[in-house]
Amino acid sequence: MSSSTSVRDDDAPDLVCQIDCVHGMVDALSCVRWKRHQDAVMELSEHGIVLSVEESGCLQGKVFLKRELFVEYDYGGDGRQRFGLSLGLFVDCLNIFSSPGHASAVEIRYPGPDMQLLLKSVGSPDACLYAEIRTRIPDTVSWDYHFEHDGNTPVTFTAKSAVLKETTDDLEWPGSSIQIRMQPDPPTVILKGEGHGDLQIEFPYYANTDLLIAFQCDHEVSYRYKYKFLRATTSNIPSTVMKENRRTKVSIGRGGMLKIQHLVSLARPGMPYFRNIGGGTEQTSRIAHIEFFVKPEEDDNDA
Amino acid sequence: MKFKAFFTDDGISLLDKRFLPAMDKVGRVCHVFFTPTHAMLLHNLLGATAAGPDGGGPQCVAQFAKDLLFREYNVSSRNGNQIAFSVEVALLHRALRSVLAVHAQPPAAGDATGAPAIQVKLVNKLPAGSRTATPFLTFETKGARAAVVQDVPISRPLSRSDIERLQAALDAAKDLPQTLVQVPDLPQLQSLVDRLKNVGDLLTVAVTQYGDLHLQVSTSLVTVGSEFRKLRVIGDRANAPVGDQNLTSSTRMDMAVERGEALSVQVNMKHLVKSLHCHLAKPDCTFYGIAPGGACLTVVFQYFIPGTRLADKSISFYCRLPVLDPGSN
Repeated sequence: MSSSTSVRDDDAPDLVCQIDCVHGMVDALSCVRWKRHQDAVMELSEHGIVLSVEESGCLQGKVFLKRELFVEYDYGGDGRQRFGLSLGLFVDCLNIFSSPGHASAVEIRYPGPDMQLLLKSVGSPDACLYAEIRTRIPDTVSWDYHFEHDGNTPVTFTAKSAVLKETTDDLEWPGSSIQIRMQPDPPTVILKGEGHGDLQIEFPYYANTDLLIAFQCDHEVSYRYKYKFLRATTSNIPSTVMKENRRTKVSIGRGGMLKIQHLVSLARPGMPYFRNIGGGTEQTSRIAHIEFFVKPEEDDNDA
Repeated sequence: MKFKAFFTDDGISLLDKRFLPAMDKVGRVCHVFFTPTHAMLLHNLLGATAAGPDGGGPQCVAQFAKDLLFREYNVSSRNGNQIAFSVEVALLHRALRSVLAVHAQPPAAGDATGAPAIQVKLVNKLPAGSRTATPFLTFETKGARAAVVQDVPISRPLSRSDIERLQAALDAAKDLPQTLVQVPDLPQLQSLVDRLKNVGDLLTVAVTQYGDLHLQVSTSLVTVGSEFRKLRVIGDRANAPVGDQNLTSSTRMDMAVERGEALSVQVNMKHLVKSLHCHLAKPDCTFYGIAPGGACLTVVFQYFIPGTRLADKSISFYCRLPVLDPGSN
């Protein structure tokens, strides 16, 4: 027993990191959890952790947790380490650590003795909560969500996350297929649903600055997207995003690839500062970046 | 067969505020068992084997010295002056609350006498529309403006053989585990188990002689556990091996079991959740232990004599959870 233990101790894990706000991490990961059972790929590197989920070759969600978000981040692996795991299990396990009134830090390690992802509460020597999540070898098929701007000027707009979520929810009624059109003159974003009926929602840039905070478009573009994929991009935006009045950036790239970027706070409530691996920073700058890529429906390109 | 008594103020308060809410959460129907010296509320005692409780649910025993609950306590029967019957806990509690409400009515002006006591007795009554008499547990009291009689329907009293089985199960349950560890915060444990129950249905519980309590749920995809260390130990104890703090919780527990300094059993998560509802009875201390040979997981709740740190021996309250894999040890 002791010899096996000493062997294990000698094998330093590739990643040992510590996060002090599990709740924020749960929020960020839940953002890309659009169904209960969902496989994810985790990529570890010296820069941080990226978690990706994909569906039907049409929708990809990514959570970027950069190393500065962690209280400790020690990566000793070669290059980038990738492994698959169940996103639902990961989120459920993290939730176990975020009991109300017990805000202990959580250490994340990879790999465990059987290539598990290990979670452990730290801070109390006499009470410890731990989880070992089985991982799997990820699919080698690469996901093709290459995004590049179409032309010299990026086609993009920024809206309040709450407004975008409400709009997407409203478009459920016509359902099926949603057309997103952006036109430079007058600068407007139009979302139109056609299915059981027609519903068109317009965001005129000059009419109401509360709706569109930024707008950039030098030529008209129009693509159609499946409603269920669009809905997945906003359905699990955490309540902190609404409370903090955060913004979401939407870009349409070459071939109609839609990119939606949310910002989710990992700040620990009630603590203005925290000391991270870089020596310290303000809580307000602790932001996880969430990105979604949605492919347009084929043969419906009006551009 | 006769039973008649008057509740003490402390006794009725204990039942109303602590034990009946807890017993109701553990199961809908419980046995009430009166002996010449004790009154008991019991869950899942019948059907148990001599080795331990069956798989039907956690056994739960709340035993009170007769003088704690009652005065003028009279019980007589051909079964050694023992009477047992089953009753729906919620009905019993509702009747008790009703008589307490009337009992609490302030006396009228000039009425020098104190409030009359609450009487409880066993009666056979002929319900309306029925030709056969049915047994009831009847509560009676008088308030300043009203009097109340509450009849709680009960089962037919248990036969002599059933009472003997009940007594045998109680005797078998009296053996305490060799090592008991004190859980510091029962609501916190309940909160943890509430979260663990979403992971899986089987819970592995281990208790070491060093004062560690280990709970673990494992499925093919995930293992989640919690370890509480350096808890107060009652009974057999040992010193924790030096340097084991660097090991993982699971390894530490496996090594302790191998050394014979810990026992580990698997229990149904639902049973543990039910037993944790016993914290509604507001015990002063809670201990966890595993019966010799891993026969069952025992949870012992202890009460102090009010104003002291001395154990109140007039109350005995414990649960025994059936184990699902008794051969693993």
